[in-house]
This record gives sequence, structure tokens and C-alpha cells, in this order.
Amino acid sequence: MSTTAKNATEGLADPDLASVERVLAGDAAAFEGIVRRWQGPLVNMAWRYCRDRARAEELAQEAFLRAWRGLVHWRRESSFSTWLFALAANVFRSDLKRVPAVNIPIEDIVEPARPASQDHDLQQKSRHEVVRRAVLALPLRYREPVLLFYFHEMDVAAAAHTMGLPVGTVKARLSRARELLRRRFPHLADEHAAMEISASTTGKEA
Amino acid sequence: MKDEVLDRILATEEQLLPSSGFAASVMDRIREEAAAVPPIPFPWRRAIPGIVLAAGVFGWGAVELTREAVSVMRSAQSVPLHLSASMLRPVEGIGWVAIALGVSLASWALSRFMTGDSRLL
Repeated sequence: MSTTAKNATEGLADPDLASVERVLAGDAAAFEGIVRRWQGPLVNMAWRYCRDRARAEELAQEAFLRAWRGLVHWRRESSFSTWLFALAANVFRSDLKRVPAVNIPIEDIVEPARPASQDHDLQQKSRHEVVRRAVLALPLRYREPVLLFYFHEMDVAAAAHTMGLPVGTVKARLSRARELLRRRFPHLADEHAAMEISASTTGKEA
Repeated sequence: MKDEVLDRILATEEQLLPSSGFAASVMDRIREEAAAVPPIPFPWRRAIPGIVLAAGVFGWGAVELTREAVSVMRSAQSVPLHLSASMLRPVEGIGWVAIALGVSLASWALSRFMTGDSRLL
């Protein structure tokens, strides 16, 4: 989960409940509080699913609408954020099944070339972006655990809650997803090690 | 690629800020939905007498059909080689009743479909 999301979960749990109560009492404008508190996390979560800004906002908007319609069904057994993220994940999953974000199979994604000494940061950024996009090319059952695990700041339990799956299943799928990515990018670890060494050397020299 | 490297790459995602009009746009949609007239509920109170009457007619029809079928079967056992015209008449009647029931059911289902209600009742 992003820092924004975490802050919202920890510090503003009661405002969500208060907003929900007001909305259920007929005050539609009270939903704005929920939108303002959760727009960041939801747009970022949608972005991880599709890596398209415009589509991420559309998806997040749809998730908020579904939340509005389904507020009465929130049973308050879990926190509002847990319910909202699970609902949003369902919306994003359904939409991406309809229109996939990436149609390239993971086997066709080329491992980035080794970085040149110049434009190091830029190249590193673009290489990281290739790895992130490769996640989208994973089969959905492996892709979603990866997306949600890192969205929730590497909290397996939170990712499992969002997907409505047991923690063990999520761990197993994460492990398989990593294996697939490792096979796809076999040289990335060596390059990272080399970069770290060169960075530390430069730091010492400075 | 080691897991730590992958963790570092995937965990260091830049945070996307929603566009300035995002919340307003969501609230516009919410207000539209809130202002929309709720769907008219099915008038159960008015429909219940009709449903009871229809159920009665169906029940009576079923009883009559069964009775006719039993009498035809009994007659058929006693006269195995041919059926007289008077015995065939109830059998033809059964066919017409079945068709009428089918047409009624189809028209009921069609009207439910046209009103956008896919539930059975």
C-alpha cells in the first residue's frame, strides 16, 4: 500500500465510518470525504493494473461508483479500506479481463540491454519500467498477487485480503511469479550488483 | 534476478497524483445517480390476488388433466386396438391446454424481460 493509503487507513478510520453513516442517511455529498481520502490510493492501485493514467482514473471512478452503490452491503467486519480495496480489485480485474492492458506474452518481452556508463539513471529507469510492464504480461493468477503485494508495501496478508484468497495461496503465486520474472530477466541481478559497486566506489571517491 | 532486486524495482513505484478534477468528476456521477428516480418496485399487493387466481387455475387445470389422462389410460387398457372418437376428444383437449399454458408462460416471461426484470418472480 502506498504511504498515502497507509496514513488514511491508520489515522482516518473514523472519518470513513462517519461519512458512510451520513451517506446511508441520505447525504450523498458526504461521499466526497471518502473520495478525497481514497482517490490517491485507488488511482495508484488502478495504475498498477493497467499502467495507463487515463484508464486508471476511469477505473478508479468506476470503483468509487460501485462503492457508493454497495455501501449498504459493507458489513463492517473488516475495515473500510479493506472492503474498498477488495471491491476496487474486483472492478479492475473484470475490466482488464474485458480489455487487457498488455497483449504481449511474457516470453516476447526482451530483456533490456546492459546499461551504458552515460545516461545511467535514465537507462535504469527505463529498464525498471520494462520489468514493471513485464509483470502485466504474467498470467492474471500470478500478476495480481504481485501487483497487490507491492501496492500494499509487501504485506502478503493485506494483498490476500484484497484478493479474498488465503495467505498461503498468495505466497505460492508470488513465488511462481518471481520465478517467471527471474527466468525472463536473468542478467538484471548481476547488473544491479555492478551498479551498486560502482555507486559505492563513486561515493567513496567523492 | 534475485528477489531483493525485484522487490527494489517493484516497490519503488512513483506515486501518481489524481488529476485536479478527479474528485469533482466522481462526485458529479454520484450526484447524478443520487438524483435519478429509483426503479418502480413491483406492485406485489396488487399482483397477489391475480397470482393466487392464476395458481388456482393452473392447479385446477393440472387436476383436470391428470383425471382425463387417467380415464383415457383406463379406457385404452379395456379397448386396446382402437380409440373411439369420444375418447380421442379429451386427448386433443390436453394438447390445446398445454399450448395455452405455454403461450401464457411465454407472454409472461416476455413482459418480465421487456420491463428489464430478469428475476423469476
